[in-house]
Amino acid sequence: MSGVIHWAVEVGEDWGEVLAELTRAFESTRAVAQAEESFVYVVRQDDLLGRRGTGNAMVAAGLLSAARTAALEGSRKGWTANVVAFDEPSDRAAVETWAQRLLEAGDVTGELVRVGHGHIGKALP
Amino acid sequence: MNGTIVVTGAARGIGRAIAEKMAASGPFIVIGVDIAPELALSEAITPVQVDLTTVEGPAMVRETVEASGFPLVGLVNNAGITRDARLVNMTDDDFAAVLEVNLGAAYRLSMALAPLMSEGGAVVNIASRAYLGNFGQFNYSMSKGGVVGMTRALALSLAPGIRVNAVAPGLISSEMSMGIPEEVRERMVEAIPLDRMGTPDEIADTVWWLLTPLSSYITGEVIVVGGGRSLS
Repeated sequence: MSGVIHWAVEVGEDWGEVLAELTRAFESTRAVAQAEESFVYVVRQDDLLGRRGTGNAMVAAGLLSAARTAALEGSRKGWTANVVAFDEPSDRAAVETWAQRLLEAGDVTGELVRVGHGHIGKALP
Repeated sequence: MNGTIVVTGAARGIGRAIAEKMAASGPFIVIGVDIAPELALSEAITPVQVDLTTVEGPAMVRETVEASGFPLVGLVNNAGITRDARLVNMTDDDFAAVLEVNLGAAYRLSMALAPLMSEGGAVVNIASRAYLGNFGQFNYSMSKGGVVGMTRALALSLAPGIRVNAVAPGLISSEMSMGIPEEVRERMVEAIPLDRMGTPDEIADTVWWLLTPLSSYITGEVIVVGGGRSLS
């Protein structure tokens, strides 16, 4: 299964930066959906909990919700949409491996996989 | 008067119900904000007609709050729109419009008004059950997920003085839901365990609870008001 891994980019507190990053994700995802391929968004666990500023939180939580909606649409066409969230110390290769697994799984969609242990005991996003 | 409360998207539907509930329930100055020209509310509500997606919009609301002469004790970010389409067909304009109104306006207004909020104040952001995913609403779902993220971040940054929570309504009987074709709406209701649409007043009641000391130990949470639809 081919597809795209989209890493969320760091943003500041300026709305223009937030909108630009969400628009970048939208444009990329729409193209992937049109090609009927799968995708994985990669975000930071701390951003899902709002710990690194409002801008990054809006991007991370926005991408998670968008992936859930895309998963509903993709399930009718056979492509998948998932999210990987990682703790700050996680190494990029491990995160990339999990994202690749989700792209290849085919039967897992709309899921959030959290790499690391920082999410334990915290809110479910 | 105990203070001022700002409610956006107050011209109709959920926002109107919230503004009227606030005006009727306590000794507050309620400022109703909407872009709609038909912002005719009860005499107890001060109308402010502005476009919150502009730089000037939030500044005008801020000026109105300062002119009220009372501390700001509540902000309800409710204004929202939909421009539904399947992701593969969604236009750039429909994406941007929904993000600007549903998320950008709420963020800008929160930033403009947070410095005015008094100790013990509360912010309630109206998200949507669509933040859990909803077919044909990539833009709306992303915007409401963004609202949830904003809620969590502001809950941390404005603590301990100000609480910030979100309400995520499900299918509510309002102008927005009346735009859904009837047979689709009927199918949606069949999937709701409580077997009916919610009412704007039921959302207003939840918002009221989150604005008042009744919920004084709750911050950073999302309260889904959806008749059990998230389970069915």
